[in-house]
Amino acid sequence: MNTNRSARRRSPMLKAAAALATAGLLAAACGSDDDSGADAPDATEAPDGTEAAETETTDGTSDESGSIRLWLNGGDTPDELVAYAATEFEKLHPDVNVEFERQQWTGIVERLTTALSSNDSPDVVEFGNTQAQTFEAAGAVIDLTDDKAELGGDDLLTSLEEAGTYDGAFYAVPYYAGARIMIYRTDLFEEAGIEVPTTLEETLAAGVALKDASDDPNFSGIYLPGRNWYAALSWLWEYGGDIAVQEGDEWVGQLDSPESIAGLEAWKTFFDDANAAPADGDDATDYIAFCNGEVAMMPAPGWKPGQILNEDDGCPELEDSIGVFALPGQEAGTTAPVFLGGSVLAIPTNSENPELALDLLKIMIGPGFQSQFAAGGTIPALKSELANVSGSPAAEAQAEAALNSRFVPTSENWAGVEAANVLPDLLTRIAQGDDIASAAAEADAAIEAALNG
Amino acid sequence: MSLTPADQARVTDVPSASSATAPAAGPSPGGRTRRLRRRRTVLPYGLLAPAVLVIAVMLGYPLYRLVILSLQDFGLPQVFGQPAEWVGLENFREILTEGYFWTVLWRTLAFAGVNVFLTVTLGVAIANLLNALGARMRLLVSTSLILAWAMPALTSTVVWQWIFDTQYGLANWLFGRQGESWLAEPISFFAVATIIVTWMGIPFVAFTVYAGLSQIPESLLEAAALDGANAIERFRYVIFPALKPILLIVTSLSVLWDFRVFTQIFVLQRAGGVSRDTNLLGVYAYRISIGENAFDTGAAVAIVMVLITVLLTLFYMRSLLREES
Repeated sequence: MNTNRSARRRSPMLKAAAALATAGLLAAACGSDDDSGADAPDATEAPDGTEAAETETTDGTSDESGSIRLWLNGGDTPDELVAYAATEFEKLHPDVNVEFERQQWTGIVERLTTALSSNDSPDVVEFGNTQAQTFEAAGAVIDLTDDKAELGGDDLLTSLEEAGTYDGAFYAVPYYAGARIMIYRTDLFEEAGIEVPTTLEETLAAGVALKDASDDPNFSGIYLPGRNWYAALSWLWEYGGDIAVQEGDEWVGQLDSPESIAGLEAWKTFFDDANAAPADGDDATDYIAFCNGEVAMMPAPGWKPGQILNEDDGCPELEDSIGVFALPGQEAGTTAPVFLGGSVLAIPTNSENPELALDLLKIMIGPGFQSQFAAGGTIPALKSELANVSGSPAAEAQAEAALNSRFVPTSENWAGVEAANVLPDLLTRIAQGDDIASAAAEADAAIEAALNG
Repeated sequence: MSLTPADQARVTDVPSASSATAPAAGPSPGGRTRRLRRRRTVLPYGLLAPAVLVIAVMLGYPLYRLVILSLQDFGLPQVFGQPAEWVGLENFREILTEGYFWTVLWRTLAFAGVNVFLTVTLGVAIANLLNALGARMRLLVSTSLILAWAMPALTSTVVWQWIFDTQYGLANWLFGRQGESWLAEPISFFAVATIIVTWMGIPFVAFTVYAGLSQIPESLLEAAALDGANAIERFRYVIFPALKPILLIVTSLSVLWDFRVFTQIFVLQRAGGVSRDTNLLGVYAYRISIGENAFDTGAAVAIVMVLITVLLTLFYMRSLLREES
């Protein structure tokens, strides 16, 4: 018995050692899994279709030293404008090619973080205006303060200029802006005998009337999915509320102020009475609902009509039935404040050709380039070009709405608030019937924690 | 979470392989054989070396980087070349003193617990069903299980998310609950997540246990039946003891996988879950690191996860070894 046991003892010890080693390796496997977790979201983004990094190079084969790389995001800049910038640039530098790569907006922050910290950085990049300050604060882009006068100077749109400025220095050049407008079905309005509303109250009444007139439980008089926080900001701001304000060095959350709560209550009334979109839905597929005939009005960015009418999964047949207006305020003749979206351009610190890149920036903020934005219905980054915005009713409604536009807190830590989904979560909870004041107070705490680092 | 089928196959092989080699490992007298055995022991290690080296480089280095990160002040500025300051255990102090971290940790453990229980219970039930079925039905059920198993986590999560869609979902249509937002409330959110995770976890348990069931001699069960044991008693006194080692292993592995669940939660959150009320550790570490650019505290959360996983792994290894000796 005894000998038998001692003879066995050696092998369990060996095995225990092997087990420990294996456990270590398994643990390592788990550890690295967290690293590869970083890749997982990219994979999850794939089902959104076409969003995965799709790079097109107009000029693939060119000498590295004789080229600069321009990254622009999404389809907001038409190809003709890119070609114009390249041509102008090559007039100045005949030996240098502009290599253009179009990036998708989805996952752009992760991609920029990687690309800008590598030694193969692009020379000019585009940031969304809520994202820019994070990169400016990190030292990812070069300081352009000395060249500001040649980059639009005092003519720059103020709110975008703020997004490009960090700690008093100018890092990113305003590029274009977009304001939210109301898109509506002219045919449904006519059928119901409803005029375009001139106050917020009339808007609600129209939405409720249109919703009640429909048998479809999915029909929204005003399409307001709970997680579309960009849209909800209009109600917050119209009632005098705000997300957060800076007091000294500290950010203080404002969502539980009486004004903010009044705004959120008003939004909730719209959500409950005029809307059929879910509390936990977002605006990613709003154009599908619109094309399904389930929407009479919806707040959306200026480019939304284009998406609705697209040939692939839109509904071009609705072309004659789409109208736009700026969301009115509580008093007739005013508009409700809207979130101002937009982009800025910057030169990465790791760019190998910062001087060439600067010349390209000067072209893209120049009147020759910006006036073409205006002509195409996009809000240009130069105040002097605002009057030239034309082309479509959407563009005009956008320009009207943009006059009363606001922005999220300008902090390098704002990205953290977005990453934690603070605002969408707050709205979902309110839409589900949670107590507004306590939900807002919790959201304030989360925002303060994120903004004050 | 994401063990490849090959890994899982290897794991299931272990008991049978070890029982085959066990007799050979018995002690044998004589110096000549001992020398021979020593020489022979070098060869396996030599054969193992390349694999160990690859694992050390591919997994060891990232783990080393993770530890370093968790001890530094490392945000976006550091990504862009600013020197990272050593802060010792400050990042750990920060997360461990934060009430929310503990909420997420307990939530993760509770979620894993419920899912493991359901996966193993239902898995064993289905294994017994497989054992009792005729050839044709067994083929049908096995095929369904394989399909559920083979579907990538992302794909199946998206499909389930459609099923539970508020406006157009099959579930709401079926139950006549038009407009019910399943993902908006944490309880129903985790119910949906549990369905997905359990659904994907059952096939592995069912097949492994079924393999174990087929090893129980028919004569044993017959004898028990002749002694007057009914079906439940036969399971309780004959089948269950025979399956115990296998159950230990599939339970341990399920704990490991369900503790580290990421894809299902992340996708459902995007589809409408309130993130703060539904974060589990894996998703939480991701949100801190990649979302807020706080790579340091994110790494600290990941390290805590690794440590817990090591603990769970040790438990698994111990039960595996106990079976071997």
